[in-house]
Amino acid sequence: MIPLDLLPIGQSAEIAEVLGEQNDVKRLAEMGMRCGAVVQVVQQGSPCIVRVDGCTLCFRECAHLQVFVQPAATFA
Amino acid sequence: MSIQQQTEPIAIALIGNPNTGKSTLFNALSGVRQRTGNYPGVTVEKKHGTFGVSDKAIELIDLPGSYSLAPRSPDEMVAVDVLLGRLPAERKPQAVLVILDAGNLERNLYILSQVLELRLPTVVALNMIDAAAEKGVTVDVPKLSERLGVPVIPTRANHGEGVQELREALANIEQLAPPEATSPFPPAFRDEVAGLQGQLVSRNVSTPRYLVERLLLDTSGYLESELKLGGDDFHQFIADARTRLKESGAPVPAVEAMSRYGWVRETLQGIVERKQVPPPLSDRLDRIMTHPVFGTIIFAVLMMAVFTAVFSDYIAGVPMGWIEGLFEFLGGVVGDNFAEGPFRSLLVDGVIAGVGGVLVFLPQICILFFFIAILEDCGYMARAAYLMDRLFSNVGLSGKSFIPLLSSFACAIPGVMATRVIENRRDRLITMLIAPLMSCSARIPVYVIMIAAFVPQYSFAGGLLNSHTLTFAGMYLVGVVTAVLVALVLKKTILRGATPPFVMELPSYKWPSIQTVLMRVVEKGWAFIYRAGTLIFASSVLVWAAAYYPHNEAIVAPEIERLAAVETELEQATDETKVAALEEEQAELQNHIDGALLRDSYLGRAGHWIEPAVRPLGWDWRIGCATIASFPAREVIIGTLGVIFDMGGDDEDTAPLQEKLQTATWDGTDKPLFNLPVALSVMVFFALCAQCAATLAAIKRETNSWRWPIFTFFYMTALAYIGAFIIYRIASFFTTT
Repeated sequence: MIPLDLLPIGQSAEIAEVLGEQNDVKRLAEMGMRCGAVVQVVQQGSPCIVRVDGCTLCFRECAHLQVFVQPAATFA
Repeated sequence: MSIQQQTEPIAIALIGNPNTGKSTLFNALSGVRQRTGNYPGVTVEKKHGTFGVSDKAIELIDLPGSYSLAPRSPDEMVAVDVLLGRLPAERKPQAVLVILDAGNLERNLYILSQVLELRLPTVVALNMIDAAAEKGVTVDVPKLSERLGVPVIPTRANHGEGVQELREALANIEQLAPPEATSPFPPAFRDEVAGLQGQLVSRNVSTPRYLVERLLLDTSGYLESELKLGGDDFHQFIADARTRLKESGAPVPAVEAMSRYGWVRETLQGIVERKQVPPPLSDRLDRIMTHPVFGTIIFAVLMMAVFTAVFSDYIAGVPMGWIEGLFEFLGGVVGDNFAEGPFRSLLVDGVIAGVGGVLVFLPQICILFFFIAILEDCGYMARAAYLMDRLFSNVGLSGKSFIPLLSSFACAIPGVMATRVIENRRDRLITMLIAPLMSCSARIPVYVIMIAAFVPQYSFAGGLLNSHTLTFAGMYLVGVVTAVLVALVLKKTILRGATPPFVMELPSYKWPSIQTVLMRVVEKGWAFIYRAGTLIFASSVLVWAAAYYPHNEAIVAPEIERLAAVETELEQATDETKVAALEEEQAELQNHIDGALLRDSYLGRAGHWIEPAVRPLGWDWRIGCATIASFPAREVIIGTLGVIFDMGGDDEDTAPLQEKLQTATWDGTDKPLFNLPVALSVMVFFALCAQCAATLAAIKRETNSWRWPIFTFFYMTALAYIGAFIIYRIASFFTTT
């Protein structure tokens, strides 16, 4: 399991855990960034750009909200 | 059929995620028969559109794009209240039209599952089926309709496909049964909801089941206070229910996402087929458009192009000239056809000059909004906000503040309204409070006159740069830098709080729809004209009255007598040289009379009264007086300066005003009134001061409180004074030593 910002561009991963204040975590889930969703990084950095399901989201990680992912090679 | 059904159209609410083509569909369904407004007390815009199909009238209520029906703020509460018929300002919709993006059904079905729980007849528009096909996604529409238990109509709103079918489905919506009650929540949660409902009944509170669920899920406590459910025992009951749910493996609020996504997975099983396709063009474009270096260069070039168009003499200048000409013509017609006196002065100097002085900026506002609408509709604006986030996060804001601030360069009013895209209340407030610091088009005439008259012309870098352009750009920079500093201070003081998480959807790139772009421009342009016709009209009349009365002609009796004599001489004169000399004398006398009357007017007296306060800025009573007059709307300064410096109120030809300002001296001395430090001090004052009643009114409307517009007025006036004082002192130091 690695933090989202370490995922290389183009590689798919499954969101394993979203840590943060519960309402923020829920807000992310409503927008599609939920545990089990497959994510791909389009542009690295802070904020980063990711593809989740059929949509593109830009997301800035902060001390209060972090996304951990399971890269494709290991999540199968 | 009841009488109500015969006379009133069928009310249908339109809801869906942002970027699903909701506005395009709303426009396609209702055409031009739309009206917009605000819900009282909140910043949510309400949009209504009507259309007829099969002899039935339908009223579409467009609700703001949303990912969820989970109210956490007054704005978010509006959509829920409308759907539940709890808003007195709105009819309860008889049905709901939900728009879904066919390319991302997983997330889009989340809000649909919430809508279905409201048990209102529902129709689904499955939009962007073509874009989904490009992503390799195909949907079995009949099966989806069967599983959801509601009609599903495939649409391509931007091409008008499926719109007629959708209209027909909506016409028959009254025959449609409400969807089956399907709660995606586990039994433990449903039991707790039933228990909570019992508690509410025992307290004589009648709340729809949907809100009872939300009451349990809303850990921020917003709904509890909104429904006025006080009492410690009730709060304890909710807390105990949440503890029991946590122990049973259904923790609040996570249980909602878990349950709804579980339901989504089940519903879509075997319905959506995905083929492997190369990364979409949008992704490939994004690698360049959002690249830290190339993306930033593209952004800078685009912004430069937009600003060049807005301030170009060839693009904006031509229609501006027409408007000026029109008002000049109107002023002339009224001036020629009315007898001299207060009424003519009110019409010509108050109404026509005041409203015309503002409407002249309409082309610039329309051009800026034309570009903003194009950039927004093609999907670029979200990328610009992404690029700007790096910069904005340094001052504690997010990239979402970029769009409102960009709009404010045309006019702060639409900028303040555009802050609605920011969900976080604190960020929205800060953006609103700093938006008036962006140099809007109303400041341009002040900058142009002061720079042309008092900034010496030097060229640099082989003629590429010159002192005039640099000073002009410098004034814009003064506003931007001050805005950044103010944001920082607000974030660290009265609006302190943790930086909220920044997450934003980037819509796929697409060709902008000309219809959408033009409608946006017309909408914004009309809003501006409306304000010019109401608030600016009223303030122009007030300023006129203050500058006209008491109108004691006795103080200029000799000049009036001489003027009458000159006019008589003019009628008899035949010699061309004499006529010219008499005309010159007539103009001089008239200007002198105007100036003397103004000095004696209430505005002129106020100017004298505040002179001690403006002296430290290098100003005399006349500049102070023009500045006071500009508090309702800064455009008023040109006309006022014209009148004060005995030029008459005509602001058409700025050259003579410039000359007059250049030759003006301190009363009773030969010392020039204006010089570079004074001009800079005036410009900085205008760059930072809140001289726009309409903007303050917009802040009042958006915040629903007098506190913030009053705060904005005082902090900006203080900043303007301090800024003008500092620049005057610094510039004086360099110009006198």
